[in-house]
Amino acid sequence: MRCAECTELLSAYMDEELTRDEQQEVHEHLTTCAECSREEQALALTSRRIKENFMRHSTPDVLKARIRNALAQDDAFTPATPISARTSRVWPRWSTLAAAGLVVAVVSSTITATLVRRSTAGSTLAGAIVDSHIRSLMPGHLTDVVSTDQHQVIPWFNGRVDLSPAVPNLDSTGFLLTGGRIDYIDGRAVPVVTYKRRQHVINVYARRAEGPTTSATNESRNGFHMIEWQSGGLDYWAVSDLNSAELEQFIALFKRG
Amino acid sequence: MSQRDVDRFERVVLPHLDDAYTLARYLVRDEHDAQDLVQDAVLRALRYFDGYRDGDARAWLLAIVRNCCMTWLRQHRDASKVLSFDSGSLSLADPGETDTRAIQRSERAALARALDALPDEFREVIVLREIQELSYKEISDVVGVPIGTVMSRLARGRKRLASALGLDAKEAS
Repeated sequence: MRCAECTELLSAYMDEELTRDEQQEVHEHLTTCAECSREEQALALTSRRIKENFMRHSTPDVLKARIRNALAQDDAFTPATPISARTSRVWPRWSTLAAAGLVVAVVSSTITATLVRRSTAGSTLAGAIVDSHIRSLMPGHLTDVVSTDQHQVIPWFNGRVDLSPAVPNLDSTGFLLTGGRIDYIDGRAVPVVTYKRRQHVINVYARRAEGPTTSATNESRNGFHMIEWQSGGLDYWAVSDLNSAELEQFIALFKRG
Repeated sequence: MSQRDVDRFERVVLPHLDDAYTLARYLVRDEHDAQDLVQDAVLRALRYFDGYRDGDARAWLLAIVRNCCMTWLRQHRDASKVLSFDSGSLSLADPGETDTRAIQRSERAALARALDALPDEFREVIVLREIQELSYKEISDVVGVPIGTVMSRLARGRKRLASALGLDAKEAS
């Protein structure tokens, strides 16, 4: 066997995917050719390094919940929007942003999310809110009042909770109001306003602000992004599996309301 | 589709969700896009489930995931070049870490960049073989190319990664 031939077969030889005769021929060549033998060692080491450094991923809980939710719904059996149609609705919007600005925003918010995730991993309130968000994704748990009309959602909260969260109508921007519900978080009844962007749910939680006004915080847990800000004496949290750039866009629109 | 078929789908196909998600993560390299694509692929799989006969359910699901990801990558080629890393691969230097750890970290980063830089058709066979441990026959089913093509793409992909790690003196082709 010539070296050129051996080089070509080495990778499959390592995987034991050659015919028995070929395995034998390569094996014999390797015992006599130092150069090919070095190459085999380099490839074997590369293969080991890939296995050591790259892990298999586990499906995030949110994705499992989304899939179970979709399977439980009847419309899972009718053709879903083709990927091409779905994405074409999103990307033109992006293209209106300056390309450079988009990159900086996405990269910096990703880094922010990573940094904050390290420093606030112990916050129990944030954990309780993410748990509530995951629960809301289970079939039938998202909304107590189903309405795309802010003038139905706002009065629904009256008498049920002692604060009145903002419920802006953002339909024209692609963030659709879907309704509201009340969750019990950290010992308090908390109003939650729900929006949808494509198939992504955004839950907006409101609590009476405690302590000094802080600047917006931004963190990421189990594949969800959450952003906190204060406005009108209330503490707001938005949680979603949307990417953080779109979630930040949502919050900017929500504040402008 | 009857409830019984959905139950069967959940029993036969859903156990391979981690494999589906792993493949999507390495192909599109963004956790949120990967989630969207896997959800989409699973719903497609459900609609095509009538056409699935007993066989390798994992390869069957992975083929659908792979096709969704490749379509997506073709449509987002320019954008994906810019946004090619996700938060999972970012880590900060720890001042107390040992030299060995630092070397491992920089090696990991070099490997991640090299894998990232591979053309999609090389990256997918590397992921399917090295990380997901599929046989050449299974990879050939998932990717939809002959086994000989799987073989040569794997060989070339590994050579490029070896060069990127400085392990291969020969020029990768």
